[in-house]
Amino acid sequence: MTLSLASDPMKRRTSAVFPLLFGLTLLFLSSLACRTHARSLDLRILHVNDFHGFAEAYKPLDSREPLGGLAYLAGRATALRREKSTLLLAAGDMIQGNNWANLSRGESVIEAMNAMRFDAMALGNHEFDFGKEELKKRITEAAFPVLGANVKGLDHLKPYVIKEAGGLRVGIIGIVTEETPVATHPRNVSGLEFLPAAETVEKRLRELKNRVDLIVVLSHIGHAADRALAERVKGIDLIVGGHSHTRIVKPVRIGDTLIVQAWEHGKAIGVLDLTIRDGKKVEYDGRLEEVKPDPGSEDREMLALVEKYRLKMDALLNIRIGETKTDLDGENVRKKETNLGNLVADILRQTSKADAAIINGGTIRTSIGRGEILLKDVYSVLPFDNYIVAIKLNGKAIAEALEHGVSGIEEGEGRFPQVAGLTFAYSRSAPKGSRIGEISIAGMPLNPEREYAVATNDFLAVGGDGYGSFAEAVKSSKTFSTVGGVLLADKVIYSDSGRWLRDVVVEYIREKGAIAPGTERRITERP
Amino acid sequence: MTMKVFVNDKPVQLIPGATVRHALVREGLLEALEQGKKVYDEWGNELGPDGALSEGVKIFLR
Repeated sequence: MTLSLASDPMKRRTSAVFPLLFGLTLLFLSSLACRTHARSLDLRILHVNDFHGFAEAYKPLDSREPLGGLAYLAGRATALRREKSTLLLAAGDMIQGNNWANLSRGESVIEAMNAMRFDAMALGNHEFDFGKEELKKRITEAAFPVLGANVKGLDHLKPYVIKEAGGLRVGIIGIVTEETPVATHPRNVSGLEFLPAAETVEKRLRELKNRVDLIVVLSHIGHAADRALAERVKGIDLIVGGHSHTRIVKPVRIGDTLIVQAWEHGKAIGVLDLTIRDGKKVEYDGRLEEVKPDPGSEDREMLALVEKYRLKMDALLNIRIGETKTDLDGENVRKKETNLGNLVADILRQTSKADAAIINGGTIRTSIGRGEILLKDVYSVLPFDNYIVAIKLNGKAIAEALEHGVSGIEEGEGRFPQVAGLTFAYSRSAPKGSRIGEISIAGMPLNPEREYAVATNDFLAVGGDGYGSFAEAVKSSKTFSTVGGVLLADKVIYSDSGRWLRDVVVEYIREKGAIAPGTERRITERP
Repeated sequence: MTMKVFVNDKPVQLIPGATVRHALVREGLLEALEQGKKVYDEWGNELGPDGALSEGVKIFLR
């Protein structure tokens, strides 16, 4: 396969008007660009995206075998690098997600990327999840440039970098999704501005085009947006994408632009081989290689690094974060009010400043005995990667949500509600659908017409466990409002996808030191 | 802002920052993923469950 390079210096020369000037210019440029014209130049681009700290191989939901593993990814990258001149690139969302990354706030991932000798990384939206100060530290620790051309207000970032490899000068521009402010907590992006990606790339491309042989956009805007970018902005040779976790098996070509993306979690490494001949044409051959934890294929140095942080993680999980003066009941959360259910629901309500909170009992998976609370205790209670969302519901929708919540009590379904800021009574002997009796919020009877802010987790917010009320409210959202500097729909008043609920609970317990939640007749069962 | 995406051609309204997994939960399709089905975009590329969605994106479970 061949591809004309939009940034080809030969192509640019054709714009000369006067023959003499043209000839002199040609001679001059030829001398400058002789490296690219004298012979075929080969360059290999290796790329990963959306690693999210998955250092150890795991079996994905839809897979029969484990995939990934940082040591195996590093081993394969090293082998591929030996074959030809290579740039190793990361297209964002590397440092947040899995506990292996989160418990060191991404430091483990940066150390691993330094060891792998990454050449550049674009910021992803989740790179902001630990806050700006932590992000600055990670950027400082990185031995490679961290790019974010469309982020205004963070001096540690570079808009682009020029790398030399295979006799080519490669300009690499980094961009991140403009939706970052709605995907993380407002405080993480306060004072920052996220500029439109296309305009930003156009501007930087103008700065770079006469200085480099190849333009690469390292993008964390998602595959659909990458395609739109390639259609709109001419002169990009390659977009290395991320954000949508797309498994692009063969490079997509739009005009003169190639687009690649390497799935997620280090389950694959993208390999793109480019050949430039006479400065005019590029041959390309791209593929995704699945990363499998085959014994003997691992990088031993990386294996040791993964183990080092795993041991640190284990030590952290055994750290005391506080104390409970009473047993915290996670066993009965599917059939009645419990003090642990109250604690978690209270934290949701308090964090989001909502009027009430409703969570599914099934979110809570185990109990904690009286005495010291270790970090791992909370992680066992809340093992799922859920985050807090608050949505405006009218009283009628709240009643419907609670009615749904008590409809599966006989079967021990996880949808039984644990609540905060409200009380309700129900009768399990009544037919399903008409079990709920009186409901109060802030001591006042529920007004079916009035809107209340109700905190929940993202699972219920999208209709998980059959909770249609939240999803219907989101569906009816029409207008927008600004909350904490972030544009949100009128019905969705809080959403912090960058902080797991368990970490919010840990933070709460650390602040309190000692806790002793009780039950207080928030949920009353009547005959 | 909320966003509208399409799951098997059906419009679905989701919360900010929603992923493929959220869309499947909304449509009661997450179990199908556990049973071996995969999610694809409109160009036939497989998507990871944690992949970010954006306005107008079309995904298919098959």
